[in-house]
Amino acid sequence: MQKVLKKYFLVFTLPTLIAFAIAFVLPFVFGVYLSFCSFRTVSDTKWVGLDNYIKAFTVNKEFFNALIFTVKFAIVSLLSINVFAFLLSMVLTRGLKGTNLFRTVFFMPNLVGGIVLGYIWQCIINGVLSKFGTTLSYSSSYGYWGLIILMNWQMIGYMMVIYVAALQNVSPDLIDASKVDGANAFQRLRYITIPMVMPSITICTFLTLSNSFKLFDQNLALTAGMPAKQTEMLALNIYNTFYGRIGFEGVGQAKAVMFLILVAAIALIQLRFTRSKEVEA
Amino acid sequence: MKKKIVGMMMILAMASLAAGCGNSKKTSSDKGGADNGKGKIYYLSFKPESDETWKKIATEYTKETGVEMKVVTAAEGTYEQTLKSEIAKTDAPTLFQINGPIGYKNWKDYCLDLKDTKLNSWLLNKDMAVTDGDGVYGIPYVEEGYGIIYNDAIMKKYFALPDKAVSINSTEEINNFATLKQVAEDMTAKKDKLGIDGVFASTSLLAGEDWRWQTHLANLPIYYEYKDKNVKDADTLDFKYADNYKNIFDLYLNNSCTDAKMLGGKSVNDSMAEFALGKAAMVQNGNWAWGQISQVQGNTVKEEDVHFLPIYTGVEGEENQGLCIGTENFFCINSKASEKDQKAAIDFVEWLFSSDYGKKAVTNDLGFIPPFNTFSDSEKPVDPLAKEVIKYMSDSSKKNVDWNFTSFPSQTFKDNFGASLLQYAQGQKKWEDVKNDMIKDWAAEKSVVAAN
Amino acid sequence: MTKKKAGDIALYVLLIALVLLFLFPIAFVVVNSFKSKLFISSNPFGIPSGESFAKFGNYTEGIEKTNFFGAFGWSAFITVGSVVMILLFTSMTAWYITRVKSKVTSCLYYMFVFSMVVPFQMVMFTMSKMADTLHLNTPWGLIILYLGFGAGLSIFMFSGFVKSIPVDIEEAALIDGCNPIKMFFVIIVPILKPTVITVAILNTMWIWNDYLLPYLTIGLSTEYKTIPVVVQYLMGSYGAKDYGALMALLVLAIIPIIIFYLCCQKYIIKGVVAGAVKG
Repeated sequence: MQKVLKKYFLVFTLPTLIAFAIAFVLPFVFGVYLSFCSFRTVSDTKWVGLDNYIKAFTVNKEFFNALIFTVKFAIVSLLSINVFAFLLSMVLTRGLKGTNLFRTVFFMPNLVGGIVLGYIWQCIINGVLSKFGTTLSYSSSYGYWGLIILMNWQMIGYMMVIYVAALQNVSPDLIDASKVDGANAFQRLRYITIPMVMPSITICTFLTLSNSFKLFDQNLALTAGMPAKQTEMLALNIYNTFYGRIGFEGVGQAKAVMFLILVAAIALIQLRFTRSKEVEA
Repeated sequence: MKKKIVGMMMILAMASLAAGCGNSKKTSSDKGGADNGKGKIYYLSFKPESDETWKKIATEYTKETGVEMKVVTAAEGTYEQTLKSEIAKTDAPTLFQINGPIGYKNWKDYCLDLKDTKLNSWLLNKDMAVTDGDGVYGIPYVEEGYGIIYNDAIMKKYFALPDKAVSINSTEEINNFATLKQVAEDMTAKKDKLGIDGVFASTSLLAGEDWRWQTHLANLPIYYEYKDKNVKDADTLDFKYADNYKNIFDLYLNNSCTDAKMLGGKSVNDSMAEFALGKAAMVQNGNWAWGQISQVQGNTVKEEDVHFLPIYTGVEGEENQGLCIGTENFFCINSKASEKDQKAAIDFVEWLFSSDYGKKAVTNDLGFIPPFNTFSDSEKPVDPLAKEVIKYMSDSSKKNVDWNFTSFPSQTFKDNFGASLLQYAQGQKKWEDVKNDMIKDWAAEKSVVAAN
Repeated sequence: MTKKKAGDIALYVLLIALVLLFLFPIAFVVVNSFKSKLFISSNPFGIPSGESFAKFGNYTEGIEKTNFFGAFGWSAFITVGSVVMILLFTSMTAWYITRVKSKVTSCLYYMFVFSMVVPFQMVMFTMSKMADTLHLNTPWGLIILYLGFGAGLSIFMFSGFVKSIPVDIEEAALIDGCNPIKMFFVIIVPILKPTVITVAILNTMWIWNDYLLPYLTIGLSTEYKTIPVVVQYLMGSYGAKDYGALMALLVLAIIPIIIFYLCCQKYIIKGVVAGAVKG
């Protein structure tokens, strides 16, 4: 079979490979190269070594601040989204009537795009804050919690759907058996349910974490970094550095490379960590 | 063998499909350019408030000449950002603009020499153009002025009050900061009687909407500092007149129709609407804002009541100070565009400033005061604000303030200063820090820009 | 028993409260889209009536300012076109590189997986530059870009599924002299159907809502603007932040998604779950 198929390599892969080369491989390689260059457009590149990487931290503290803000945001949204989604899925798997309707509603926000979502919440939050005589741009903590609320609203339904599917697969016999053994509700959750749905927890933490780190549209639409770039997350900071400042294209590209390393490292560590947990359980 | 042929054919089919998709654009755009041999124009406009007018002019031009033209307007505060992403494209803007010598430094690779164009020969004052050596790379297309716009109906009402705290009887008599402050504070005390929410419209400090403060108002202290030092640009700044800036900025904040904590959500349009609806008596802006005042639904301001007051900041000898008049709008033609498209763009701007339709659109619809000799005295804009600017330009007893903000280091500098002002307005930053950060940032940004 | 009932009622109350909370933002936009723009910021939570009631004024303005229906058309074209291309080509590629084991194919597989992790900012400039050089800055070109940038996730998911299909059928078919291409479409594709739905849904959700890629490659200067691009354009530009038109536009942007969702709800939720479990 291998032999027969060998000569069909191009038939099966060529269109994808062409598109993949154009949209990813070449831009990626070129992007890494450009991060070591000073350039305005691609026709005037000049090799500057690690200069851009140094500049990313020395010209101002924006990138570092964005990193801190992103980390803080990612941790809190990771915890809140998963806890809420898990609780909600427990409620929805109790066999109540109308579960489907509830699930439909909770999942819906996930389909609304980030830009649209950002503006909806901007109007709501500004509306609420105006009752207290202030606005979203008054303090970075408003923007921070605004983003958390928005992210929760958008992602809880998604994670809930995954948890529901996982919980439905937990065998009722196991639960019954443990009841007979006299385990209380908390013990059942701790020793049976959670280990059983551990793969889903892995997936959900991975999804929320990577979505939080890469957040761009929502950030742009909700606060655009106001006030004074204090609510600017990494992706937005990279975009603003690249397109917002003449002469900083290389720095923006260098920041993007560091961002990639960070995201890739998190993905790896996190997968390792939760996979090992699964084995233990 | 048969299979091999089928396989080959599949590959060919797919390759041609991919190539066909890729090329379809090219052929269609070639055709678009060649169908009438007239080239095409893509203008990247700087002024959001006149976006619709530009589009109208473009439609008319296409109708008249058959030359395809499109206008795209960049959002507030993102002109350079938009220009950067657009100019890298194959269908790049053919007509764009720079804000003066600093802008020229950034974009000189894309600026065509316009020395031999008719447009250049029409310039009333050749010194205004952006030049480099022999060449002329940016041609100013509008002169503009800004100051404090006031609604005389409300002011008259105030001056008619029996218990007013000042001895003067009309707004025209205000000729220094001390008087302005006295009037403004007394008006605030009597705002219920005057039927206003505050003397000044909102100091809009939303990001991107703060240019009236981080650029225009900041021009005054810089102007006086340059004047003292007899320079046109500086690598470092003392911000010697910082307290004067604080004077007027505080006055705006303390006598505003909006609570200072709400200013971070306000846009320029909000302030202009407040002024137009008579909620505020004064607003700092330029003659370009007339449209924003007159087009507000429920507008209560009468045309004859709208006048300019110079921005007084408490500098010695400011009694003779006029409006801030200058330009930061220089047309450039993309030197990397095809010759045909370059010619089309030049033809368009020449048409705009010499044909009857073009001239009328420039003065009436855009409200421009054009710096060209193709306009006779009767062909000047007739809106009240432009008329005032023209009055100040020809009044030799007044010393108008130059637009020195074209020498500000970068957009980043302006944005940072604007963010700083917002924090100051919200009571989160001390004035000392605003001042010191501004000085530090100026030097830092100047050196960063110089290094590029 | 009564205790359980009381608990259920409490849960219902909680759930209904949550439903209201989840629906509130959407209701908020719908209500405000009928308010004239001056009242949106001054009284955001009021019900429009009398002078604050703008009828469909905001809608006509929003549609006119942004050419919304054009944007809708291009959004739909790009999304459908890209998803069809992705399904067709990545399923073929995924099947092939999973079945044929060689250094090249496993290297390709890891490259595709790696591309899933890479944030868009990494390639935003170089990709848009590349697209421009190759004249791909059109809706048709965008489809190729989405095929390339979306290949990672789709191939990962397809190949995860292909691994679980026994090879026997394919081998038998090939021994019978069946051409591999015909065999793929006649035998493999029907088996792949559940994954096809999953991949289709995940990609639709991504492409329909994507902002930065179409903004950077197609940009503001063409008539090919998509819905997220016009929403951002309306908000960012004009110096006149017209909240009335914005609200109307937001409603218009949400309606097609909700209709799509309500029609294919079952598939969407299943698809998302399946996607997550494999992803």
